[in-house]
Amino acid sequence: MDRNVILSIQDLNIKFTLRGQTLHAIRGVSLDLYDGECLAIVGESGSGKSVLVKSCMGLLDKNGFVDSGSILYDGQDLAKYTKGKEWEKIRGGQIAMVMQDPMTSLNPLKSIGWQIGESLKYHQGLTGEAAKNKVLEMLSDVGIDDPKRRYGQYPHEFSGGMRQRVAIAIAIACNPRILVCDEPTTALDVTIQAQILDLVKDLQKKYHLTTIYITHDLGVVANVADRVAVMYAGDIVEIGTCQEIFFDPKHPYTWALLSSLPQIATAGEKLYSIHGTPPNLFMPVRGDAFAPRNPYALDVDFLYRPPYFEVSPTHKAKTWLLDPRAPKIEPPAVLKEIKNLKALGGEWGEQ
Amino acid sequence: MLQYCLKRIFRACISLIIIIAVVFCLLRLMPIDSYFPNLDDMTETQLYNAKEKLGLNDPVPVQLGKFYTQLLHGDLGVSNRYRVDYPIMKILAKKAPISIKFGLLAMLISLPLGLLLGVLMSRHRNGLIDRIGTGYVVLMQAVPAAVYYLMLQIYGSSWTGLNILYNSNVPSSIILPVVSLALPSIAWYAMWLRRYMVDEENRDYIRMARAKGVPERAIGFNHVFRNAIVPLIHGIPSSLLLTISGSIYVESLYSIPGMGGLLVEVIKMQDNSMVQALVIVYAALGIIGLLLGDILMAMVDPRISLTKKEGAR
Repeated sequence: MDRNVILSIQDLNIKFTLRGQTLHAIRGVSLDLYDGECLAIVGESGSGKSVLVKSCMGLLDKNGFVDSGSILYDGQDLAKYTKGKEWEKIRGGQIAMVMQDPMTSLNPLKSIGWQIGESLKYHQGLTGEAAKNKVLEMLSDVGIDDPKRRYGQYPHEFSGGMRQRVAIAIAIACNPRILVCDEPTTALDVTIQAQILDLVKDLQKKYHLTTIYITHDLGVVANVADRVAVMYAGDIVEIGTCQEIFFDPKHPYTWALLSSLPQIATAGEKLYSIHGTPPNLFMPVRGDAFAPRNPYALDVDFLYRPPYFEVSPTHKAKTWLLDPRAPKIEPPAVLKEIKNLKALGGEWGEQ
Repeated sequence: MLQYCLKRIFRACISLIIIIAVVFCLLRLMPIDSYFPNLDDMTETQLYNAKEKLGLNDPVPVQLGKFYTQLLHGDLGVSNRYRVDYPIMKILAKKAPISIKFGLLAMLISLPLGLLLGVLMSRHRNGLIDRIGTGYVVLMQAVPAAVYYLMLQIYGSSWTGLNILYNSNVPSSIILPVVSLALPSIAWYAMWLRRYMVDEENRDYIRMARAKGVPERAIGFNHVFRNAIVPLIHGIPSSLLLTISGSIYVESLYSIPGMGGLLVEVIKMQDNSMVQALVIVYAALGIIGLLLGDILMAMVDPRISLTKKEGAR
């Protein structure tokens, strides 16, 4: 990967204040996003996936703030942005977002033509006929038939999948460089999911987009991602190419996550699940956050937080198991099953 | 749109016809006495002739039919006791404009002020304006109107030298009653608008608009306010039309010769035809208000299906 870094997150800490307490939602994340790639961020609910990308767009809730660290984009540190005016240029114009639920992410009282045109107005100053032509072009780009008729229609006249297409049209209308997809298919019908994923893939090529997928659906990951970042308790515990994460995972949390895939479970046996609950982020976390739930945990895991150990130039994981002094532990045997799946061909997402 | 309106108008007419029938029949059940101030002195024949003159000897359906034709000619009948044999239309024509004048002025003040207060409260949620506004809303809702109406009348007139009673020759004497009428409505509009705007703020499409890079101001107006105003719009035609009924309390405090309290008064007097006329007029206004409200809603909210059956969202 010798491509250009277009977004670089350095040792980012994000905190939220809730009823006088402080929640440490992102604990020192560093991440480089390469131009043109598709990065998937996976992790369970509350692991900080959404918070991480929202902070790159200044969309954190009012009680959340960047405590330390930087988000470098285009020579500027987004973490230092405070005013709405500064963010308005980034949002939509540079970094755009597709949200989870297309049933609620469009304003029910505005025609979809208006809603797509709205971002054009603020980013490119397009109005009137020029804006309308561009909107019609976007609509046909995202695969909506008869754009002229659809232009004046309202969200309730569209199906879920069609609405998500509209939401994608809104996101890419202003030629952003980065497209964030926050669980874009979770709320959709399985048959529609694959269509939307394909659409985003096509658009990524056509518009040269860098995409970030936030998801907890590993099927989606296998389908679209070049690289995968696994998040746990506000930190990226392992990051690598899609192949590396699926076929050669190093972190016990990634093992646990992959073991709980229904696709590799044996019929008649209980599906694997990770016991315990994630740590309470209101409290300081000591050692490896996953240690209390980790059957392979070493004593050192409870005392010191592991640094990144490099497995390959593209693959690194935060676990003491990779330390040369650690005992050699084999990953669970069941993970070998993944190789037998035609996983990376993309069949998963369509099951 | 036209089809929707026609359908609604048709339904409204049907409701009105039913209401008229019910009111009319109920009042036929009342004792006959009230129609004649000097019942005790009348002989059987006199009574029969008098009833014949009023058409009270006909069967009820015939009477009702006659009443409908009468209404279609814009005639509400004559008063029996309030002002004997005086056309009710003329009584209303004299009193209603006074109530409407006060009501409209109060609305003209309260609607913009209430909406402004609501917007400011939601914009500065938990801030100073919100706290003061909430205090005001709670005050208006919790304290009986009697208390602040009286205080306003007493202190308002002594501090500013305004007339304590309404005098049609002194224009400034309308200020206190109009303010009295406006105070609670301001609180009402502010309370609901704030609430709906706060609801809207948390919608996904507001986040979406923000993620699109739309400036806060435009989000506030084009999305938050625009969507929050919809539920309020429905009530506006009704409140506009029902200004005609006046306010019993404010009108009696300032001795305004309006419609407020008229219905109660004629019920006490057992003036059946007045009761009948007033109830029908108020019912008609209520129905027209709702009808206009529905049509306005359909104009501002595209989800309200104009041709298909409802509930097909």
